[in-house]
Amino acid sequence: MSTTYARKTWDREGRRLGRGLMALPALILALVVFAPLVYSIVLALYNWQITQINQGKPFVGLQNFAKLFTDPKVLSAVGNTLLYVVGSVGVELVLGFIIAAALFELTKGRKLANSLILLPMIIAPVITALIWRYMFDPQFGLISQVLSFFGVKGGVDFLGSSQLALSSLMIVDIWQWTPFVILILHAGMLGISEEQFEAARIDGAGRVRILRSIVIPGIAPQILLVLLFRTMDTYRIFDTVYVLTRGGPGGATETIGLYTYQTGFSFFNMGYAMALSVFILVTIAIISTFYLRLLRRRSVFA
Amino acid sequence: MTSHTLNAHDVPEVSARPVTQKKRRDAWVIGCYVVIGVFLVWVLVPVLTVLVNSFKTPSAIFTSTPQLAFAPTLANYAKVFGGLDFTHFLLNSLIVGLGSTALSLFLGVPFAYSLARLPVPGREWWARLILFSRMVPAVALVVPMFVIFQQLHLTGSYLALILAHTSFNLPIVIWMMRSFFEELPPELEEAAMVDGAGRFGAFWRIALPLTTPGMAATAVLCIIFSWNEFLFALVLSGQDTQTVPVGVSSFIGSVSIDWGGSSAAAIVAIIPIFILGLGAQRFLVRGLTFGGVKG
Repeated sequence: MSTTYARKTWDREGRRLGRGLMALPALILALVVFAPLVYSIVLALYNWQITQINQGKPFVGLQNFAKLFTDPKVLSAVGNTLLYVVGSVGVELVLGFIIAAALFELTKGRKLANSLILLPMIIAPVITALIWRYMFDPQFGLISQVLSFFGVKGGVDFLGSSQLALSSLMIVDIWQWTPFVILILHAGMLGISEEQFEAARIDGAGRVRILRSIVIPGIAPQILLVLLFRTMDTYRIFDTVYVLTRGGPGGATETIGLYTYQTGFSFFNMGYAMALSVFILVTIAIISTFYLRLLRRRSVFA
Repeated sequence: MTSHTLNAHDVPEVSARPVTQKKRRDAWVIGCYVVIGVFLVWVLVPVLTVLVNSFKTPSAIFTSTPQLAFAPTLANYAKVFGGLDFTHFLLNSLIVGLGSTALSLFLGVPFAYSLARLPVPGREWWARLILFSRMVPAVALVVPMFVIFQQLHLTGSYLALILAHTSFNLPIVIWMMRSFFEELPPELEEAAMVDGAGRFGAFWRIALPLTTPGMAATAVLCIIFSWNEFLFALVLSGQDTQTVPVGVSSFIGSVSIDWGGSSAAAIVAIIPIFILGLGAQRFLVRGLTFGGVKG
């Protein structure tokens, strides 16, 4: 009797404490995340040139959103962004899988290799850009020096050429984020039970067969997770593009994130910039909902 | 392929197999070491190049033939801590990083405990909302945030940057700490109930001390994310509150980039974060995947 009574007060007290502990954090989260989002949706309905203070901001309804679908720069920015997403994430996934599988076979030095592999992904993207700005330098950069050793004289202007600039940015992304893919896929491989490998070996399965029939299905949730996070993060890419090319040469590396930034802070067209922000948010929500559906089916993020 | 069952006929075959298999295994493992080795070269060479450059004089950097032998100089580091305002950037990064980490932990830990342990209505709904807020891209937040902070006359203040960084650190704290609280055996808190400690006592005196290592790892992750963040800092900082990435970006863009100085600056920015990262290595995967992979 007395224990059920204690249970009841315990639960009641828990509900009250929960309300108390959650109120302030929920308020702050609403202020820093949801208020700006709502605000951007509202302001996207106005034509607001921040430079023309006296003109005020006339209400234009959905005009900014209509403009978004006819703006050729949006089309090319989305195209560049998608190319960047598919190219970077594709290479990162394949390369990451190969390295993770190799790492999985190591008996000695696995820990050391893990610690060193970590390095690129904890460096700030801006610092990464600085490092690669030097690597790509047509005169003094390491890549051009190595190329000239093989007979390609004069240096290649990776970031200044409209054919090479976007691929060069992808190389930076691949350098920085393949380690992330490796760590996650490797963690997934460590989670596969030893009995499964044992059973396959007794069945006489070769290494490639084991990779295909046991490892890949075993880490399917991790592969999906990597795809979710890398797709989201490459879609919103800003830092390295801003620092290395500013969208140039001739718009060859203008991504949707950079275009939004420039609309707001270079052209001061705040209303249109808000519409672009909403566009990014909605497209990311669609992409991630698709992945999350697949993931929840495999009970990640349950 | 038929499955083998062990019987008398298989015995000689089984005893013969390990030799060839071992040889094949060795070749495969050596191949794996080579693959890892090549990959490590690819990962480390860009960083090492910058490290070496940071000890070179300008004339030693700007040669078309690379030299390995050069007279090392500390002049670049002297410049970084002397003329470039870099110490100011470091201090700003530290203030913003520690501020947003402290705020996120103060708010996020109790919230995470409530989601993990307390009978709150709509727990799943909350969890999904937090996950969604991690997915909101900074690009979508920065424009409205700039306008809001401008109207509140907060742009250029530390508070603006700390609040902006809390928008991504708070969801991380909540998800990380929720998983740490869920891993605690519930019996410990039930024992506290029997002892008459009360709900808050169970959280404050039992759950909280037991998750200190998790909290430390979470704090390290928050500091790293804040230290590396660029877009919010670029838009919301003022002349006096520029963080390291903003400061560094300003000298990458310039035509006459000072390679020695910026290399030294890069190394100074990397070292503390690499040490912290190694310390939290075990939890890095969990933090970066938002608890999706326990690692």
